[in-house]
Amino acid sequence: MSQVLDDPASEVTLETPVDLRRIPLVANKRDLHWITEHVSRICEGPAPFWWWVCFLITSIVACIGLFCIGYQISNGVGTWGENHPAGWAWDITNFVFWIGIGHAGTLISAILFLCRQKWRTSINRAAEAMTLFAVVCAAIFPGIHVGRVWYAWFLAPVPNANGIWPNFRSPLLWDVFAVSTYFTVSVLFWYTGLVPDLGTLRDRAKSRAAKYLYGIFALGWRGSNRHWRHYELAYLILAGISTPLVLSVHSVVSFDFAASILPGWHTTIFPPYFVAGAIFGGFAMVLTILLPARYLVYPQLRDLVTVDHVDKMAKIILLTGSIVGYAYMMELFVAYYSGNKFECFTFFHARFNTDHSGWYQWAYWWMMFCNVVSPQIFWFKWARRNLIVVFIVCMFVNVGMWFERFVIIVTSLAQDFLPSSWGHYFPSWVEVWTFVGTFGIFLSLFLLFMRFLPMVAMSEVKIVTPEADPHAHGSGVGIDAHHPVEAASDSYKQSH
Amino acid sequence: MSKRVFHHPPEAQSGRKYWRSLGQLEKTPEFNRWLEKEFPQGAAEFQGGEVSRRNFLQLMGASMALAGLSFASCRRQLNLVPFTKGVEWSIPGKALFYATSMPARRGAEPLVVATYDGRPTKIEGNPTHPATAGASSIWAQSAILDLYDPDRSRDFLNKGQKSDSLKFTKALDEILASGGDGSGIAFLVERNHSPTRERLRALAEKKFPKLSWCVYEPTGGISDEVSRVAFGDGILVTPQLDKADVIMAVDCDFLSNSGGNLDQIRQFSSRRKVSATDSKMNRLYVVENRYTVTGGMADHRLRVPASQAGAFLAALANAIGAATKNSELADLAKAWSANTPFADGDKKYVENWVSVSASDLLASKGKSVVLVGDRQPAAVQLLGHAINSALGNLGKTLIGRRTIEKPALTIEQLAAAIDAKSVKALFILGGNPVYNAPADLKWAEKQATVPHVVRLGYHEDETSKSEQGTPRVEWHVPMAHFLEAWSDGVANDGSYTSVQPMILPLFDGWSELDLLSIVAGGQKPAGAELVQETFGERTGGAGDFTAAWAKFLHDGFIADSAPAPEALSYKGSEAAAYAAKAGPVPAAAAGTFEVVFAADSKVDDGRFANNGWLQELPDPITKLTWDNAALISPATAESLGIAEYDLHMRVKRITIKAGEATLTVPALISPGAADNSITLPLGYGRTVVGRVGRGTANLGTGFNAYLLRTSQNPYFVTGATVTPADGMYEMGVTQEHASMEGRGADFTREATLTQYNIVAKEPEGTPTSAYFQKMGMDAHNPKNVSLYSHPPLNSPTSIDPHAWGMTVDLNSCTGCSACMIACQAENNIPIVGKEQVIDNREMHWIRVDRYYASENNDLKDPELISQPLMCQHCENAPCETVCPVNATVHSEDGLNVMAYNRCIGTRYCANNCPFKVRRFNFFDYNQRDVLGHKKGHPFTGLYKWNLTSDKGMPDTLKMQKNPNVTVRMRGVMEKCTFCVQRIQEAKITAKAHSRDTDAIPRVPANAFTTACAQVCPTDAITFGDINNPESNVSKIKADARGYRLLEYLNVSTRVWYLARIRNPNPQMPDAGKLGAFIHPAGETNEAATPTGGHS
Repeated sequence: MSQVLDDPASEVTLETPVDLRRIPLVANKRDLHWITEHVSRICEGPAPFWWWVCFLITSIVACIGLFCIGYQISNGVGTWGENHPAGWAWDITNFVFWIGIGHAGTLISAILFLCRQKWRTSINRAAEAMTLFAVVCAAIFPGIHVGRVWYAWFLAPVPNANGIWPNFRSPLLWDVFAVSTYFTVSVLFWYTGLVPDLGTLRDRAKSRAAKYLYGIFALGWRGSNRHWRHYELAYLILAGISTPLVLSVHSVVSFDFAASILPGWHTTIFPPYFVAGAIFGGFAMVLTILLPARYLVYPQLRDLVTVDHVDKMAKIILLTGSIVGYAYMMELFVAYYSGNKFECFTFFHARFNTDHSGWYQWAYWWMMFCNVVSPQIFWFKWARRNLIVVFIVCMFVNVGMWFERFVIIVTSLAQDFLPSSWGHYFPSWVEVWTFVGTFGIFLSLFLLFMRFLPMVAMSEVKIVTPEADPHAHGSGVGIDAHHPVEAASDSYKQSH
Repeated sequence: MSKRVFHHPPEAQSGRKYWRSLGQLEKTPEFNRWLEKEFPQGAAEFQGGEVSRRNFLQLMGASMALAGLSFASCRRQLNLVPFTKGVEWSIPGKALFYATSMPARRGAEPLVVATYDGRPTKIEGNPTHPATAGASSIWAQSAILDLYDPDRSRDFLNKGQKSDSLKFTKALDEILASGGDGSGIAFLVERNHSPTRERLRALAEKKFPKLSWCVYEPTGGISDEVSRVAFGDGILVTPQLDKADVIMAVDCDFLSNSGGNLDQIRQFSSRRKVSATDSKMNRLYVVENRYTVTGGMADHRLRVPASQAGAFLAALANAIGAATKNSELADLAKAWSANTPFADGDKKYVENWVSVSASDLLASKGKSVVLVGDRQPAAVQLLGHAINSALGNLGKTLIGRRTIEKPALTIEQLAAAIDAKSVKALFILGGNPVYNAPADLKWAEKQATVPHVVRLGYHEDETSKSEQGTPRVEWHVPMAHFLEAWSDGVANDGSYTSVQPMILPLFDGWSELDLLSIVAGGQKPAGAELVQETFGERTGGAGDFTAAWAKFLHDGFIADSAPAPEALSYKGSEAAAYAAKAGPVPAAAAGTFEVVFAADSKVDDGRFANNGWLQELPDPITKLTWDNAALISPATAESLGIAEYDLHMRVKRITIKAGEATLTVPALISPGAADNSITLPLGYGRTVVGRVGRGTANLGTGFNAYLLRTSQNPYFVTGATVTPADGMYEMGVTQEHASMEGRGADFTREATLTQYNIVAKEPEGTPTSAYFQKMGMDAHNPKNVSLYSHPPLNSPTSIDPHAWGMTVDLNSCTGCSACMIACQAENNIPIVGKEQVIDNREMHWIRVDRYYASENNDLKDPELISQPLMCQHCENAPCETVCPVNATVHSEDGLNVMAYNRCIGTRYCANNCPFKVRRFNFFDYNQRDVLGHKKGHPFTGLYKWNLTSDKGMPDTLKMQKNPNVTVRMRGVMEKCTFCVQRIQEAKITAKAHSRDTDAIPRVPANAFTTACAQVCPTDAITFGDINNPESNVSKIKADARGYRLLEYLNVSTRVWYLARIRNPNPQMPDAGKLGAFIHPAGETNEAATPTGGHS
């Protein structure tokens, strides 16, 4: 954007100094047609060999997970390692972990949209898809962890023949409502955003089947002014609805713990701390998926998902990671300040381990390192822009956020009030493979998404290109020299 | 209505007449022969198969007839009424209660049995019997499961081939016909105090004058022999603990369940019930080699190896002898002067301990008692009698009773007779000598040399067949359970008790009396007639026999039938001569160990090894299930290098070599055990046993300690060597953590008697009066404020006038765990198997927590406290708010109730329970094979794919279930209900009595109680209506000692604990360290104490 100095004497319009110019959101001055071509082509060509290999692996893993779920449902929760002090373990750990991951997408789509963060456009589609798949994985766990899965419908607010309603005082019920609302709204939001792109794909489709299917889901999109007006309003409204949900869903999940009386769970700091942690973990997972996709398999995306995007997301990881770190310290302080011996035991002995009595302190220290220490490297710009470093930190964060939930759930349960009922928890193979299986489900769904739907919201990206802005002449010129964007790989250049 | 009502047939008159006519009939041999033919027919269907529905109904009908008091004993076609016809006094769905008693080593245990539609389901103590007053033992409680044990012996076996009772009777007649003067006939029986058995023995001896009669109890001790020396033939000595102010127990676990000793436990605990009105309390000194429940109740406890109990007593005898100028004591003690029983470092401490406790005993002459374990050698026990005599306790705290049992051979004498080839026919009635006879007798080989061996056995066990299945006896006869047969007994207090059948023998078994009556010349089946004859002899036949008999059966015992105590006079010179001959127990050589063989607290000598409830019951001290282990002190473990363990509860193993025998067993560290003294519980490692006793596939249940046990050293052996063995062993320990972690003041509050007396006298409202309520967290917490006042619960106009509550007196609770078995029987709680216990998935609704505590991490000699914990029925129940489906809710009478049908199994309630008393059905434990899992095979047992796995439970086990309690399926949460089925029954009864009112009438105070409170041998648990000022519970909870757990959480529990009071002697060297659980100021000062090998 240029700036006109209001100096009538000179009457000279100055170019914005190079340093202050906005970095273009689409690198290498790609035009609208290029965007359409290169994003749509991912869905249109035959599936590449690597896709088949990846899909075979992930779907096998998913099937192992589904087998474990079937085995567990058929035999009982006893096939897991849970026991009497530890009534929850990997099941709820995994649930909170996946739900947390499911936060980034809607945050990027809705909150950044409302905040007019235009850089969100190239990543929001994939992030939202990731959200949905993460919520699907998350929803598996509360579903299957109950003892009698076939009666899980008792959670629905349907009074049965005896007129019994669910217990509206139970945070677990709030969870059901929060997660299902979140999933529904996220699906609507994602699908609404997809409609213009589905129209594009329909128009480009060669096969009758593709034309037919994309045509159905494009809902007769013709790109008319009237359509655009309705579309944009709907998108805005859904963004408005989604925004509080981003904050509410993980707050409600945290109530599962905060509303209990167990030392280590009963903590008022949980809602903001869980939301920050969810965004933290969610962004890490977005990067974990996008970096390989952009770097290894779809180099054309490098012009859309630029290093600047990565840099921005790394900053968010740094911020939320620090909030999480602050919350960890606060928990310790409050435990100390309360003078409550049970609280003190949970935090200083069972977790922090100031003596021999902690059984799971290794998990606590893993969590501390991954979530608090490792993101601190993002204070350095080189680190935020070095994709390898970013990827490694994101992997740490993924691990760390899983351990955070494990620490909260298992260490608090294993050693609570009465020492006589303390016990150890060890996962069983069924539990481990169920968790691994959800990664298979998640990645399989994501691979299908990459294959059949545009990974980048073409219509939205186009809106943020200079061409879309009637007042944008001149902006972006000459920037390339100062901010060289990453060069596409040689092989890619040759083939295109 | 007192306790549970006995419903008896209203029309006893007609039955009485009926009986008389048949009584005449029965004497005719034709009638007997007719019976002979009649009976196997009905029972034949049971042979070799499960009980079918059809014959189950017949059976119920039969037992209905049997159940009628006046009809009792009449196993006649005439009284076999099909259940469909109904019996006048039977109300379908209502329990009928019958009095009986359980034969046991120390004396019969008076019982009342609940039967539903003809099947016994629950055993209780007889509330009208003065010595036990409704209490019962874990073995009486679990006997109901033994009755329905699907692995019971079902067939008459001739050399392993299926036969029948007719063939057996014929063979028996042949054996007896060639018996001559009986010199070739020998009987090997267990002790059971049945006068009828004694009478039949006498009849048999009349027929076969040279018959050998041997009584063998592997863990019975030798106290009878000793008291014969000390006080004369036929005299048994029984302590009167309610009269003792000071008790010194030396290697004597008199509070543990040793079969029929409940009266002693009750006498002891009656002196521990301190209250503001009566705060006098006895003082207990315990000298033992490892923690026992008796040691846990001690006010002062000294660790001494079992082999040095004599040396300790000699020191005590010297101190008392010097003070009383009794030279006899000094003479007896002299023999021990060469012993240096105590390590040098402890010597001064022990000397001090001895002299101070001796002066305490002397200060209560005639009101003290020294109890010496009946496992100790005769010389040691005689020292104890001598001390009691010097203290003037004879006839006061120790009384004599003349036994009905005539002298019998020991198993060694019988073995010698077999070696001499003089035994031609050996009758083994019960028992299991191949498994539990002293190892040096090589009983299996001996038994094989006898031409005719007849075995009456409850199971086909080691004595009946080898591990490979080769028969070891000529005839194996299935034995009837005591709930299936007629008999009688003498309780430990000397009263005469009845044993009457509740059901026809499920598998056509014979009782001991049946077989003996044939030997004595009678006919089978004999049943009640035999007992009536004894009854007639005892009562002298005066008055209306039938009425007296009916009353006997109705009451279960004859009041005041105990013979008057015999005068006790200590025969000093005989005793001294005997002791001199026996000599002292030599001190153990350095570097060697003593191995103590103890009767197991659950499976006893191995006889209950196939009882799943007992196998899964945690040991009161070690909390070990499904196994035994060598219990060793922490210092010994350290010196052997086996102190390690891991989080899977895997412990190291040791190899013990005693004499020629070796045994490799896992070693469990046992705080408070004497160093270099290894305790090995007997009764495990059975090889020919049912499915439960075999345990989880390829894991087994424990190790056979009998292999180390010889006739010279039946109870402990010195000079054993121990080496660490390879490998770790996984133990099913239900309480991994035994330290209070500084939380004693929060959970297990205690004080000394002096402190209590100050507090109890304080007027209400002063800070001191709230001493016991303001400890730990509750000392600092501001008053709880609720936003929410529970209108339905607290409103004075609530529809329901009741508020159920419970008190648990920590000062009476010994930790015996009878409550756990009673709860399991009452509430249809399944067993889960050893592997699931290792995974912390046991299902007990009530558990008994055992904590060790000491200052400065002292593992050597900590204090012990047991705390039963059940659902606390919080008024602000944390479980209720979190259940998403309203499956756990509050009732108007203040119960936290579970709706199993509504539960989906989120387990959130269990997580939010601060007491962790909720139990989740991780598998379908009732329907699936809990014992079938093979380690390392992922799809076996419970883990077998559900759709291909066999489901269901044996029909006999179904018969045991309480029909008023749901059998839970997998995936639902369960927990203590305060026996809601009993509450409802009481309410319905009250409602029925009140007739024309709409309101819920108030159940009278103390009209009924829960299973755990009913069984408790020490009355530590009391249940009732706290809204009713007349109820015991509301009186007890008002005591100064009453406190509730975690008051600061404002959960407002409905269970009050009564603080433990210790009564230390201020002069004792360890007086200062007592009460380490809490500091007098209410602050904790207990150091973190890792225990049980685990921390």
